Amino acid sequence: MGRWGTRGTVTPHEQNPSPRPRRESNTGKRRKTKRKKKKTDLEELKKEVVLEDHKLTLEELSAKYSVDLTMGLSPRRAQEILRQDGPNTLTPPPTTSKWFKFCKQLFSGFSILLWVGAILCFVAYGIQFHQKEEPTKDNLYLGIVLAAVVIITGCFSYYQEAKSSKIMESFRNMVPQQALVIRGGEKIQINVENVVVGDLVEVKGGDRIPADLRLISSQGCKVDNSSLTGESEPQTRSPEFTHENPLETHNICFFSTSCVEGTAQGIVIATGDSTVMGRIASLTSGLVVGKTPIAVEIEHFIHLITAVAIFFGVSFFGLSLILGYGWLESVIFLIGIIVANVPEGLLATVTVCLTLTAKRMAQKNCLVKNLEAVETLGSTSTICSDKTGTLTQNRMTVAHIWFDKTIYKADTSEEQTGDSSGMGKTFAKGSATWFILARIAGLCNRADFKAHQETLPIAKRATTGDASESALLKFIEQTYSSVKEMREKNPKVAEIPFNSTNKYQVIMVTGDHPITAKAIAKGVGIISEGNETAEDMAAQLQVPISQINTREAKACVVHGSDLKDMTAEQLDEILKNHTEIVFARTSPQQKLIIVEGCQRLGAIVAVTGDGVNDSPALKKADIGIAMGITGSDVSKQAANMILLDDNFASIVTGVEEGRLIFDNLKKSIAYTLTSNIPEITPFLLFIIANIPLPLGTITILCIDLGTDMVPAISLAYESAESDIMKRAPRNPRSDNLVNHRLIGMAYGQIGMIQALAGFFTYFVILAENGFKPSDLLGIRLNWEDRFFNDLEDSYGQQWTYEQRKVLEFTCHTAFFVSIVIAQWADLIICKTRHNSVFQQGMKNKILIFGIMEETFLAAFLSYTPGMDTALRMYPLKLSWWFCATPYSILIFVYDEIRKLIIRRHPGGWLERETYY
Amino acid sequence: MTKKEKKSFNQSLAEWKLFIYNPTTGEFLGRTAKSWGLILLFYLVFYGFLAALFSFTMWAMLQTLNDEVPKYRDQIPSPGLTVFPKPLTALEYSFTVSDPRSYQGYIEDLRKFLKPYDLEEQKNLTACPDGALFEQKGPIYGACQFPVALLQACSGVDDPEFGYSRGNPCVLVKMNRIIGLKPQGEPRIECISKSENTAALSTYPPNGLIDLKYFPYYGKKLHVSYLQPLVAVQVSFNATSSTVNEVTVECKIDGSPNLKNQDDRDKFLGRVVFKVTARA
Repeated sequence: MGRWGTRGTVTPHEQNPSPRPRRESNTGKRRKTKRKKKKTDLEELKKEVVLEDHKLTLEELSAKYSVDLTMGLSPRRAQEILRQDGPNTLTPPPTTSKWFKFCKQLFSGFSILLWVGAILCFVAYGIQFHQKEEPTKDNLYLGIVLAAVVIITGCFSYYQEAKSSKIMESFRNMVPQQALVIRGGEKIQINVENVVVGDLVEVKGGDRIPADLRLISSQGCKVDNSSLTGESEPQTRSPEFTHENPLETHNICFFSTSCVEGTAQGIVIATGDSTVMGRIASLTSGLVVGKTPIAVEIEHFIHLITAVAIFFGVSFFGLSLILGYGWLESVIFLIGIIVANVPEGLLATVTVCLTLTAKRMAQKNCLVKNLEAVETLGSTSTICSDKTGTLTQNRMTVAHIWFDKTIYKADTSEEQTGDSSGMGKTFAKGSATWFILARIAGLCNRADFKAHQETLPIAKRATTGDASESALLKFIEQTYSSVKEMREKNPKVAEIPFNSTNKYQVIMVTGDHPITAKAIAKGVGIISEGNETAEDMAAQLQVPISQINTREAKACVVHGSDLKDMTAEQLDEILKNHTEIVFARTSPQQKLIIVEGCQRLGAIVAVTGDGVNDSPALKKADIGIAMGITGSDVSKQAANMILLDDNFASIVTGVEEGRLIFDNLKKSIAYTLTSNIPEITPFLLFIIANIPLPLGTITILCIDLGTDMVPAISLAYESAESDIMKRAPRNPRSDNLVNHRLIGMAYGQIGMIQALAGFFTYFVILAENGFKPSDLLGIRLNWEDRFFNDLEDSYGQQWTYEQRKVLEFTCHTAFFVSIVIAQWADLIICKTRHNSVFQQGMKNKILIFGIMEETFLAAFLSYTPGMDTALRMYPLKLSWWFCATPYSILIFVYDEIRKLIIRRHPGGWLERETYY
Repeated sequence: MTKKEKKSFNQSLAEWKLFIYNPTTGEFLGRTAKSWGLILLFYLVFYGFLAALFSFTMWAMLQTLNDEVPKYRDQIPSPGLTVFPKPLTALEYSFTVSDPRSYQGYIEDLRKFLKPYDLEEQKNLTACPDGALFEQKGPIYGACQFPVALLQACSGVDDPEFGYSRGNPCVLVKMNRIIGLKPQGEPRIECISKSENTAALSTYPPNGLIDLKYFPYYGKKLHVSYLQPLVAVQVSFNATSSTVNEVTVECKIDGSPNLKNQDDRDKFLGRVVFKVTARA
């Protein structure tokens, strides 16, 4: 049966066993049974392909499809078959309707939290409405705002994703393909979709194969099967049966591959979804994909925040009952506290941050199809790469050099080859630094030219080794001197290998032959120098392979056909025990098994590929990366990300951007969550200490949806604190986006300081206007009484309800301003998690703009005439702006000291408890 | 990840138990005793420091305050009007003439409120000249007498029941105290009945006049025995025979350009509206 396996075999025709399947014309009835069958179908599709037609003689073939091998089908017969089988097209993957997609945006992850908050608000308003004649509308407004935030953010991310999918649609080849068929002895051009089983088809160089064909004659025909098997070499096709394996034998051509040269005639043996290609496409569209890592993280975050909210809510519910509040009032407090914990603006912030990164990646030719996939690449711990071609093409050149505090342009154009005198113009070659730099680049470099290339220009010479090292080698050879001489003069004493253990694991999964695959793997560094496979070790020690402990070998080459006999445990064993793995001769189904195996071990898997054969693996992977130029439509459909320029190096950019956005989202969330504490505590003290409410709902919304937004988003522009590419990929089980340390910092420490800043301002304003702190305790009931219009302050003055409410709203405004001022410091400390701000610098212009923007917005809200009636915000005296500054300074100093201690004592107690 | 195993209820219960107390590591709620101790100590020190800092800033702020006059008085530029006795629900006086218990509370309230206005109590107060602001330089600030007789029929002297027993109830109207307020012109309280024909209103002192000698007010600490000027409104229903008499009364400060009596939002700024319901 050959390599394409017996892992349970089904012929494509088993679904329609006779060449003329009796399909019911009643499509409605079929649709009903389809659902039930779906699950079993998928299991069948995961099995390998079996074809028998290539073994048949021409006579048998003619009989099987009752077709004349020279005249073809009669047009009437062809029409009949077309009616029975349907058109020769791939069923497009079940497209989810736009409404469904939109609803998914509205009701997933974070949105649910906000919806629950909105519903709770409406419930609280309902209770208040029945309880009092004139309820405060705060809860109603809050509910409406929460719902509006979800809907607006949902529309935004829907729009973003719709834009990407529009680009996707433009890929689709809209030109109807033509096929040349012979029917009733006449050659006719028909649309590909009208080709039927049994048709006699003629193809020539440049054509796309219209269906699965069994060749009956050919003249120098060669086909390119790369989209199906990954092998890019054109292969000869002839009527002879040469191989058991239908994919290897010469007499079968496959749907959607292309004929490179020559001509051939063949009988159609399968059309549409029953073709080999069709089966892979159906397998792909049938796969269920798991959640993205960021979705998992956000879910974890929601669990944390919900736990905190419920903890707060329930404990103060109990407390308010003890303090003698009524049941209904306590329930409203409970709801109020839970809702106050919902970070209203965070959903929008996260969406915008991801969009910004998606845009940045799109500029680097990485098109991300859905926003959440932006981060996935950063979390990736295993990359399964198929296209060895793209790996070997991974070429780099030196473009700029930086030394003596100046950036020089490196001119490596070919005219300059060997003419080093010309380089003087571009950079200071006389500098001593350049001399040192060149020596280091030449000597501390493992790349080398391959032998016998002296005649070629340097830029065109083939090298061995890493792409970046090769680039340096060529550059030094071109601009400085012969590296070979340099190395002869300075023999290597010892070698400190470049630390590659912190990298993600690259597994090569290819359709190529094991020997070729191994050679390429060694060439591109997937199997590193000095690492041997068990076979190599056996050959070296001249013992049979059975005596070698396979666990000693770090590298390993696995043949696809071995894979199909393995149990899941055996596969896990291989994936666990070897760091450098090559899978050769793998079928689409086996690729899928490998991806599933890696995921089972907890890895976050990225798969790259361009062929149809890769698409099941692309779909199943946490992030599938397809090639924009060479990639097939099916693979682009299945992938989450498309490299528009087919440049493999873009993946590295993707990893970098993904890791950066993960870090920056952490900072952004830490920043946003901090202001939650100064927003909740006023309400808690209102309940417990019976003081006038220090901060109202409107001002809370002004913070969450107003002043906090731009600064939180600006953190997405923050540059990395250290070389993020040198870090190990994050462990999705322990390294969470939001952990208890982040909550502890934001809520327990910085948030508390901010709350004090707000309360201080609040007490200052009340005291300066006549209400001293000691007289405020317990004043709430009288303060809130509409008909108590001669409330006495500490100086004997009497206030009407409205007069003291204006004072209260002035306090709300001032509390709000104090939070803004404390958030300045919070924003600056959130720039870094480890480094000092003085190390990081203030280069983030968006962040500086964010600080200015929030300040101006706060001033605008306070001083614009009419704000008193619109938002009930009142102008503040200048001195009230400065009440919060000592606390703002405290935030900055405290966090700088904390980070300093963390840097001084790595792994110490403070790091374990507060480093988020 | 392909098959997410559903944890059984027992399994998750066991996990929870292990989280609450793990006997092997001695962890309680995910932390050992030492770890709990350290983190609690950290927060104790941290919050202790914050509390100290907060207390210090509050103390520093209170030092800047003047005990006699608040720093800012711009939030109350103009006084509100309030009525006395304080009705139980909103601003509605409701009583039955024949049932003394229905108005007992009002009368007691009024008596208590007028206690400081007794002649005996006012003995030490200054008899200030009428019609002019009584501005003082200190250090001792005297308060002007407000003879309760000014309230005439509502003084409680002639009629200890303040007219309630006869179905002609008295309501006192007063202006809120504001430190340093100097009314211009001739401030008076004008009351009108919203339904002219059902009830007649009499105000005492005549015309509802508020004498300027009671201004300015110098604050609780300096102006110790200060007496607020009062205006009494007596409602006399025309149809004494009907079983239920109802009237809505609106009182306003009038005659002083710097005392506002109209504000869209503040219904009590320089005016007050109340309703009197008297049953036979």
